[in-house]
Amino acid sequence: MSPDDPDDTRRTDQTSAWDAFSLVVSGVAVWGGVGWLVSEWLNSRVFLVLGLLVGMGSALYLVWVRYGKP
Amino acid sequence: MSTRIVAESGFHSPGPADFEFPPLFGEGTFFTKPMLVIVLGTIAVGAFFYFAARRSTLVPGKLQFAGEAVYGFVRDGIARDAIGREGIKYVPYLVTLFGFIAVLNISGIIPVLQLPATSKIAIPLFLALISWVIYNYVGISRQGFGGYFKNMMFPPGVPKAIYPLLAPLEFFSTFIVRPFTLTLRLTFNMFAGHLVLLLTILGGEYLIFEYQGLVGIAAGSVSILFSIVLTFFEAFVQILQAYVFVLLSAIYIGGALSHEH
Repeated sequence: MSPDDPDDTRRTDQTSAWDAFSLVVSGVAVWGGVGWLVSEWLNSRVFLVLGLLVGMGSALYLVWVRYGKP
Repeated sequence: MSTRIVAESGFHSPGPADFEFPPLFGEGTFFTKPMLVIVLGTIAVGAFFYFAARRSTLVPGKLQFAGEAVYGFVRDGIARDAIGREGIKYVPYLVTLFGFIAVLNISGIIPVLQLPATSKIAIPLFLALISWVIYNYVGISRQGFGGYFKNMMFPPGVPKAIYPLLAPLEFFSTFIVRPFTLTLRLTFNMFAGHLVLLLTILGGEYLIFEYQGLVGIAAGSVSILFSIVLTFFEAFVQILQAYVFVLLSAIYIGGALSHEH
């Protein structure tokens, strides 16, 4: 994919919007889910919160890495 | 309080139960209304493209023009945009998908049928699974089994230490979230649209013919008028959702073909 091809840049723009959404949902689901399991196991809600935060954080970071850099 | 009044006066507000249909030909048979819509829709799509493509002439007739318009729209507006030059290979699938979904959606506002078959989750789910199989197959055959997963789960430009955190996200996003969002977006757009139409039409009818009085007739008329406006809005949503489903399928195929490096 060459960046100077107008066809290709338009395609990346479209892709990023939908993939970013999908990534953020995954972040919360995966690490929030792991956190929830650990919370159930250890009987402490801290891990659920921690998992959700880690999930959101890494998802946003991933979105930035993938699509945010010029 | 308002719900109690409604319940006492006998109006049955539409709900998920309105999407459960008894067999059409009596007890013990299996053929239901959604199935009828699917069969009719399939015949309609097939007939449309068959007759549009048959005896194609250089100066197209009305039907050929319509067929070419749909084909051209999917080829230029979706395949070429989302996949790029290689998109032409996937146009047959995308056109079929678009026609099928659009017709099953539109059946929601066709008199007598009046049921978007795509509001039954099995249909979008299966279509999403077909797209899922295609884009994964395309990705694996293009980039190799290992390469496909490596490119998907380990984006370049990230410190290695963070990969354990990010790789599951990418995997989950591509394998689980994508087909699910495809399915749910289409299903519940159609589900909600059908409910809203049912509510405004049946509610208006009830107000005018059962509740009666000045209030009933005035409010019922507004409701009926509103249902007409909403029907046009639904037509727009139905075409839009078919477009979105096909566009996303094409984007996923395009992404699998050429992963950013």
